[in-house]
Amino acid sequence: MDHFAIPPGRFLLSAGLDDAIRRSCAAPQRRAKEAHPVFAFVAALGGMGARVGDVCRALGLAFDEGAVLGRCRIDYDAPLTVDTGYDVAARVVSLERKASRRFGAADHLTLGMTVSAAGRPHARVSLTTIMPAPGPAVQAPA
Amino acid sequence: MSAWELGAVPAEAMALWCEALGDDNAIHVDPAAAEALGFGPRTVNPGPTNLAYLLNMVMEARPDREICSIEAALLGNVLAGDGVLARGTWDQDTCDAELVVAPDNVVLRARIETDGRDSDDGEGFRSQRL
Repeated sequence: MDHFAIPPGRFLLSAGLDDAIRRSCAAPQRRAKEAHPVFAFVAALGGMGARVGDVCRALGLAFDEGAVLGRCRIDYDAPLTVDTGYDVAARVVSLERKASRRFGAADHLTLGMTVSAAGRPHARVSLTTIMPAPGPAVQAPA
Repeated sequence: MSAWELGAVPAEAMALWCEALGDDNAIHVDPAAAEALGFGPRTVNPGPTNLAYLLNMVMEARPDREICSIEAALLGNVLAGDGVLARGTWDQDTCDAELVVAPDNVVLRARIETDGRDSDDGEGFRSQRL
């Protein structure tokens, strides 16, 4: 999948958004400027230069047939803070077709993202989205 | 053992998460779309929101710790109105956590590693360990 480029993007993590996300999931109140740690994930996905659905559609995947998140890994280099702009670099790591109890066959798309501020990485995120496989098998990347 | 509970997942919060995530998957905001795709007649909570519940548990249980890494497998769905229970067992700095929908349906498992807040370089960045 090296040929498929996801443009870089940016995510503004405002105090207001952190407050709203915390309220929505009954999270504890913020300590100083430290954002909820789930923002590593939110900034990675929300800040990359294309929507995840558009990435999937551009790859010919059935995002609109009920895509779900399958796995994720987040490694933190530093806490994310509010009122900070983050640069997000994203790439397609792998695309695999696997047998699925739910769908019969499913496509597993893994994206890798780095969330950085002022040139320093704050979080490295890997996430796998699973979708029912449409039509003929997708060729796995080399 | 740590635990954290939410009595009913709010449907109206899902749109906020979708906007922040740039996720236009209709199963999160349109009950008809969720039903048409086999999820039943309620909207599906975004996966990162479910992960946030586990992180809430860790933050409440160990407010002196900083989260270093998360490895998570999403095994099932949480629907609008579901009650959820996050629970975790600790081995020193590591929490093996799971999110359960009543009565006992595990929908998310994660290993969450934490560290003390005194190991950064003064700018919030962790020291490199050799």
